[in-house]
Amino acid sequence: MLVRRDADDMREIRPRTGLGALVVVCAMLVLVIRLYQLQILRGEVYVVQSIANFRKTLFVPADRGLIKDQKGRMLVENRPSFDVFLTPAFCKGKERDEVLEKLAAYLRLGPDDVERIKTDYQKSWLSKDKLERFKPFLVMLDIPRDQVDVLEAHKTEMSCVNLIPTPHRSYHAPTSLGHVLGYMSEVTPDELEDSPEYRRGQTIGRRGLERRWERELRGADGKQNIAVDAKGRELDKDTQEALIPEAERLVPATPGNNLVLSVDEKLQRLADVAFVGRAGAVVIMEAKTGFILAMVSRPSFDSNKMSGRISRAELKAISDDPLKPMLNRVMNENYHPGSTFKVITSLAGLENDVITPTSSVFCGGSYTMGNHRWRCDKAQGHGSLDLKHALSHSCDVYYYSVGDRTGLDALSDMARKFGYGQPTGLDLGREIPGYLPDTKSITPESGSARAHAINAAIGQGEINVTPLQQAVAYAAIANGGDILRPQIVRRIESPDGKLLREFQPEVLRKVGLKDGSLEVIRDALLAVVNEPGGTAYRSRLPDVELAGKTGTAQVMKLGQKQKLDPATQAYFSRDHAWFAAFAPASDPEVVVVVLNEHGGWGAEAAAPAASKLMAAYFRMKREESAPAAAPLVAVPAPAPSVAASSVVQ
Amino acid sequence: MALGVTEKRLDNLHWPLVLCTVIICSLGLWNLASATKNAPMFMALAQTRWMIFIGLPAVIVLLFIDYRWLQTVAWPGYFAALGLLAGVAFFGKRVLGARRWLQVGSMQIQPSEFVKLAVIVILARWFTRDETGVRKGYYGLFDLVQPFVLILIPCALVMKQPDLGTALVTFAIAMTMVMFAKVKWRDLFIMLATGAGASVFAWSRFLKEYQKQRLLTFLNPEAYAKGAGYHAIQSMVAVGSGQWSGKGWGEGTQNQLAFLPEQHTDFIFSVWAEEHGFLGAVVLIGLYAFLVLAALDVAANARDKFGSFLSIGVAALFFWHAFINMGMVTGILPVVGVPLPLFSYGGSSVVADMLGIGILLNVSMRRFMF
Repeated sequence: MLVRRDADDMREIRPRTGLGALVVVCAMLVLVIRLYQLQILRGEVYVVQSIANFRKTLFVPADRGLIKDQKGRMLVENRPSFDVFLTPAFCKGKERDEVLEKLAAYLRLGPDDVERIKTDYQKSWLSKDKLERFKPFLVMLDIPRDQVDVLEAHKTEMSCVNLIPTPHRSYHAPTSLGHVLGYMSEVTPDELEDSPEYRRGQTIGRRGLERRWERELRGADGKQNIAVDAKGRELDKDTQEALIPEAERLVPATPGNNLVLSVDEKLQRLADVAFVGRAGAVVIMEAKTGFILAMVSRPSFDSNKMSGRISRAELKAISDDPLKPMLNRVMNENYHPGSTFKVITSLAGLENDVITPTSSVFCGGSYTMGNHRWRCDKAQGHGSLDLKHALSHSCDVYYYSVGDRTGLDALSDMARKFGYGQPTGLDLGREIPGYLPDTKSITPESGSARAHAINAAIGQGEINVTPLQQAVAYAAIANGGDILRPQIVRRIESPDGKLLREFQPEVLRKVGLKDGSLEVIRDALLAVVNEPGGTAYRSRLPDVELAGKTGTAQVMKLGQKQKLDPATQAYFSRDHAWFAAFAPASDPEVVVVVLNEHGGWGAEAAAPAASKLMAAYFRMKREESAPAAAPLVAVPAPAPSVAASSVVQ
Repeated sequence: MALGVTEKRLDNLHWPLVLCTVIICSLGLWNLASATKNAPMFMALAQTRWMIFIGLPAVIVLLFIDYRWLQTVAWPGYFAALGLLAGVAFFGKRVLGARRWLQVGSMQIQPSEFVKLAVIVILARWFTRDETGVRKGYYGLFDLVQPFVLILIPCALVMKQPDLGTALVTFAIAMTMVMFAKVKWRDLFIMLATGAGASVFAWSRFLKEYQKQRLLTFLNPEAYAKGAGYHAIQSMVAVGSGQWSGKGWGEGTQNQLAFLPEQHTDFIFSVWAEEHGFLGAVVLIGLYAFLVLAALDVAANARDKFGSFLSIGVAALFFWHAFINMGMVTGILPVVGVPLPLFSYGGSSVVADMLGIGILLNVSMRRFMF
């Protein structure tokens, strides 16, 4: 029975097994078709994706170009250092908090920094672009050696943290060159959008030469392709070589080009020492070429500090400093030129036949126009003066008279000829034009055109100039009327020292004056320093024909609304001290302009520094031409020379 | 049992099936060695030990026992299996949010793998012993309440671990066996339609999106651990990048660099397809197809109904595991954790699969005996 019944059942089962076999074959065919689709039809696409999985492109940062002074002394170079980056995708949730805690301990982060890192993390994590979280962001710039060791030791606990070797800028130059050199800081998201060759966390030049010559200095980053596993860990060497074709492993970086400046580092240091004011500017420029030998804007900033890790408190201190350290006073601040402007008034007088070199004006201590009275510096008056004496004694009344007679527009025109009222063209970023009033621009409420002219004649009123404009104008007086474009870069060289570009002196125009006018002025300026009664007589030099003009520019009285302590108030109410000089007077080589902000008298607060620098310049020149000679002993030592040697120390 | 008889029966051994199994096992170990090349412990060696020292002796012992004896142990076996599942629920080892393993000495066993066999045996026994089908000539829907209860209890316990994949496969195996009983096509269709309809209805009508997501995550935690879709995508990249002939043994970047998740267990086929390409994958699919077809052949030629149902159950076991696993790693089925028989790493699964082969050999060896 059992057998028969089973046999019945088997008859039932057998056809179903046949059907089952058919189903099995069909199902397996479906799999085969699917595999054909994945592996054969779309195979190429998946190969690309599988390579993209393990292949990671690292950038090899290019060495930034060096900056040297005219003698080849290193002003800015690169030093090896490490930046810390974090890739959000590789640590999330609890791991993120642990990693942050460890980083805070190992890198000694403040609550500020931790907050910033958390914000950055959150930003890339919440970004709509899912790839964003795979992009490392900067945690800490340029960490010290001992922290590098600590992080290396704890590498395995924090696989999302990367130490990236990045050369950092090292500024050897005196900090007084801060405004010239500029500094580096991280690129902003906007800049990243505009320039795809930059990567997040990289730095870009800010201000000065670093910014102006970014393209030359930067070079081109190289690329390194490496193989990583799913956790982002780099694989061993053999696997690397098997997975990445040799040609794609490394594309070396192209280092940036070097800048050779016209600046003489030694002179720059001397300028910084010689200039004693709290704030102000010094420009030393070659009179015939326009090349700048030294340029001080005080207070300055430390490029190293600005390029490295700087705390918010420090940044705030800088931005709150009433002396504005970030302001480049050489080219970005307006000052009344004071008496240094009298050379322009003189030339306007000569050119418009209002005066001759020998015609004289009587100074009784004041000048009257209508019911206004303008006083001279010397209350009892200078008596009768010709041009040379008026300039060397800096008589105001003489110039009130000249200005009154030439009129405001003649003064402005002459000033414009000498480069005032317009940027000088120094290729170092933003530069203000200064300001020259004329009869069209003045408002009736501010006084009559005559009153304006009288004020302008002694460099007051609405006239504003920059120290750099002064250097250009005095260079033109010194060199016979060439308006030069001031320049600070002499050469651009390739990393191996090949000359790529040489900058030639550039004469923008000739002032084109009557024959002899400039000689008269130069003669008078020589008298300023070298004849008894000259305002800068005390700053004369025994072996250098120094010519120059002092200036004491009155500043606007501060309103009482500004809450400043009395000492600060007093400081900001003091006059600006100017001295603009060139030497040697017979064949001028070099121009020195010193502006001592709120320094007081030009003769006391500006001229001595300029005099020291002149002495130093010529001494250095002598030393170079006769290197074997004993440098200091050979020079007899009257007062200015002592001052000069004290500068060296 | 006399030795002579055994020798005679060895002639009746299904040698093609044995050969096919040996080939699959060998390829499996070779592939596992590649998949676990960078693992701290040489898993392929452990797998070999399980096959040789547990699986093989168990199969040999099984061959000496007439498979009909299984009818007598069906109930104790079934309850033992349920007991183990209950043990897992209380004492199980929790891994990635699921309790699936029982710690026995230094070994961990996964009872749900053996539950499949217990279900196959108990259903085969039920369909052999039950008189209803014979009396009526067919099974009506209500006649099947009892086997359904037998199926659903273990399935529910496995689901609770939770292990959606194993529960589904166990259910699929049981349903396949039901289809081979005298159930009218119309009733089969009704069962399938109600089951499918009810689940679709429940899914779309009563569950909110986040609940669905939560349920999926709950039932299948690994698949969602790194974000839904990651496993499936990386697996397809691995398979697809194998192209015609693959990247070579041990050269699969998806596998070796750990972009492929679970490459030694659920995604072992991706390793094979990545390293041996379309050609290798088709060969392996062919081997599994051969295994299942051979099992159906054993079922068709079995001496009795019990042997036939046992073989159908084992055929279903291999078919569903292979199909769901390969379908899952190639992206035509959702990611549910189901091992590829004799390929995926895991002692319980390998031993259970080998026991299944042992049952097939047993049934085919005794097909001429009365």
